[in-house]
Amino acid sequence: MKAEAATKPAATTLRMKKKLKGSNDNNLAGYIFISPWLLGFLLLTLWPIIQSFYLSFTEYSLLEAPTWTGTDNYVNIFTNDTDFTTSLKVTFLFVLFSVPLKLFFSLMVAIMLNKNLKGMNLYRTAIYFPSLIGGSIAVSALWRNMFNLNGYFNHVLAWFGIQGIGWITNPHTSLGTLILLNTWQFGSTMVIFLAGLKQIPQELYESASVDGASKVRKFFHITLPMLSPVMFFNLVLGIIGSFQMFTSAFIITQGGPINSTYMYALFLYDKAFKHYQMGYASALAWILLVIVALMTAINFLVSRYWVFYETDGGKQK
Amino acid sequence: MLAGLLALTACGSGGANNEEQNAPNDSGNGDSNAAVKLKIMWQGPDTRHQAMLKTQEVYTSKHPSVTFSPEYMAWDDYWKKLPTLAASHSLPDVLHMDGAYIHEYATRGTLEDLSDIDLSGVIDDKTLENLKIDGKLYGIPISRNAQGVAFNKEALEAAGIELPKKDWTWDEYFDFARNARAKLPEGVYPINDSNTWDHYQYYQTAHGKGPIIQEAGKKFNLDKELFMKFYGIHEEFRKNKIVPPADMVSSFKENDPQADPMASGKVMTRGASVGSVGALELLMPGKVDVVNVPVGPEGGGWAQPTIFLSVSTDSKHKDAAKAFIKWFVTEKEAGETYGLNFGIPIYDEIYAALEPNLAPKDKLGKKMYDTAKDKALPFYPAAAGWTEWVDSYKKTIDAVMFGQKSIEDAYNEISKSGNAIAEKQSAK
Repeated sequence: MKAEAATKPAATTLRMKKKLKGSNDNNLAGYIFISPWLLGFLLLTLWPIIQSFYLSFTEYSLLEAPTWTGTDNYVNIFTNDTDFTTSLKVTFLFVLFSVPLKLFFSLMVAIMLNKNLKGMNLYRTAIYFPSLIGGSIAVSALWRNMFNLNGYFNHVLAWFGIQGIGWITNPHTSLGTLILLNTWQFGSTMVIFLAGLKQIPQELYESASVDGASKVRKFFHITLPMLSPVMFFNLVLGIIGSFQMFTSAFIITQGGPINSTYMYALFLYDKAFKHYQMGYASALAWILLVIVALMTAINFLVSRYWVFYETDGGKQK
Repeated sequence: MLAGLLALTACGSGGANNEEQNAPNDSGNGDSNAAVKLKIMWQGPDTRHQAMLKTQEVYTSKHPSVTFSPEYMAWDDYWKKLPTLAASHSLPDVLHMDGAYIHEYATRGTLEDLSDIDLSGVIDDKTLENLKIDGKLYGIPISRNAQGVAFNKEALEAAGIELPKKDWTWDEYFDFARNARAKLPEGVYPINDSNTWDHYQYYQTAHGKGPIIQEAGKKFNLDKELFMKFYGIHEEFRKNKIVPPADMVSSFKENDPQADPMASGKVMTRGASVGSVGALELLMPGKVDVVNVPVGPEGGGWAQPTIFLSVSTDSKHKDAAKAFIKWFVTEKEAGETYGLNFGIPIYDEIYAALEPNLAPKDKLGKKMYDTAKDKALPFYPAAAGWTEWVDSYKKTIDAVMFGQKSIEDAYNEISKSGNAIAEKQSAK
C-alpha cells in the first residue's frame, strides 16, 4: 500500500489519505459493531486452535505444565499406535458406507416428497420430524435400547421365532448398526435435496416428455445433472460430518466391542480426557484436520467432472 | 468440534504455568465471623448426593459463617471433569478423592497436605500412616471400604445350590460355578465372565505373585502361568455355558435395573463393594447376600479406606475446608446425617451410634466388610499414567472372549504394552 502511494503525486496522496482515513473511521465503527463476534472468534476459536497446534508438539497431562517433545507425538502416532490405525480404519469404513447410503436414501425420500399429492405438507412434516431431535444423546440412548440384546428390535424378532443377537454388543454387527442410525438421520440432507428438486425448471421435463423421454431417462438426464451442485454440497458436508462422528459411538457402544466402533473422534476424546494425554490428542486432532482437508480437496477436484452449474451454460470441461 | 474443545482446555492452562498461587490464607484464622463459601465436589449415586447436601446444611446451621457451593455427579463424569479443573487451577476447596486416583492428583501437586488435622482417637495412627504418600497425608479417609462378591441367595437356594461360604478359595469358586451350571435353568449363568485387569489381579495376588503394577508404575509384573490358567478356565466356562456369551457380557451395565448382570436375573453373582452393594440391594430387595472375594494361599480381596476428602492447593479457604473435614469425620451429628452412604464411617463411635437403626442395604455393606477384612490384601490401584493400559487390557480380553484372539497372544500384547509404560515411567 505504502509503496504504491509513494509513486503518486503529492496531491493525490493527500486526497487518498483523507479518503483512507475516512474509510478507516467507518471500518472502525464496523469493527466495533462486530467485535462481540470477532472477540469470540479470536479468543475462543483462533487462539485455542493455535494453542492446540503448539500442544501437539508437547506432552501435556492437564495436571502438569506441557513439556516440549518435538515431533514425538506424530512419530508415535504413525509408527507405534495400533489404536490409531484401527480407529482410522473404522472411521473410513463408516464414511465409505454411511455417506453414500444416506445420500441415496435421502434423495429417494426427497423425490417421493416432491410429488404433488394431497396432504403432502403433512407427510413432509412427519418425515422430517425425527430430524428435529437430530443426532442427539436422546436418539443415541433410544438406539441403544432398541438394538441391545434385550432391545425392542429383538422383541419384535422374537414374535417371528427368531433369536436376536446383541446388535450393538457383537463386533460383527455393531458398526453396521451405527451406520444404520446415521442413515436414518437423513432429515436435513433430505430437505436440501427437496429444495434442489424444487429449483429444477418444469420446462425441462415438459420438453423431454414431448420428445418422448421415459421416466428413468428424465431422472438420469435432467434430475441428476440439475441436482449435482446440491448433491456435491451434501456429499462434502456428509463426509466431514462422518469423519467427526462421535456422539452415537460414545453413547451407544463406547467404541466397543473390541474397537469395532472405535471412531477417530472417540479415540481422540479418550486420549485427551481419559488418558490425560492432551498433547497427543492435539496431534491427533491436527491429523484429522489434514485428512478431512485432503478429502474435501479431492472432492472439489473430482467435482468438476460431474457437478453441473447452470451458470456454466452447459459447457463441457 | 473436538479440536476446538481440546484447544479450549489448553487455553485455560495458558495463564497458570506452574505459578503456584500463594494467595493469603487468612480465612478461618481466628476470625470466625468472616463469611466463607466453600466449593465442594463429590461423586456417587443419588442417595449419597442427598445425604451429602443435608450434611452441609447441618454444618451451616452450626457454623453460620460457612456456606457451600456444591457440585456432584456420577463416577465417570467426575473423573472426566476433575482434570480440566485441576489444569485451570480451579479445583473446589473440598473434593472427594478415591484410592484409585489419589496418587495421580497428589504427586502432581494439586492436593494439600492434611497431616496437621488432629485425628487422634478417631482414626488410629497406623491406618493414617499407611495412607500417606511420600510421608504426607493428601486426603482424610472418611470410611472403611472393602471388595466382595454379591450373590442371588434366593435363586441359588431355590435351585438347591450350596451357597458360597466366607473365605472360599478360587478353586471352590470355580467348582461352585461348575456345580451350579448343572442345577440352573438354561439362560441363567452361575458367574460372569472376567475381562478387567483388577479381577484377574485378585487371582494373581491371592496366589502370592504380587500386584501387576508395582513401584508406583515403574515395574510391570504379569505372571504368565497364572494368567494362562485363569483365562484357560474361563475359556472352558464359555464353552460349557458356565459364563454368559460374549455379546451378553458386553451388554451388562451395573445398577441398571434391566441390564445389571444380577438384577436382570441372568447371572447369580457379581463383584460389589461396601459402598455400592446397597444400590444392588435396592434393585432386588431381600434377595442379595454377600461373601468375600475368593482367596488363595496369600489371602484375597481388600478391606481398607479408599474414599477420602481432600483440599485443593489452590483453595483460598484452606483452614475453613480443613475444619469442615475434621467435623465431617469426627462429629456424630455429621455421621448420623450421611449414614453409610460412603461406606462404613471411619470413626467407630459414629458407626456404633448408627448400628441399631441400620437399613438392610447398610447391613449388607457391613457384612461385606466383616467377611472381607480377615483375609484382606492391600488395595492395589493402577498407578498414575496407566489408565490407557487398563483400557487396552479390557479390549484385548474382550477379543479373547469373542474368540478373535488366543490367550497366549493376549498375554503377549498386554505384557508388551505394560512393559513399555513401565519403561517410560522409569526413565522419568
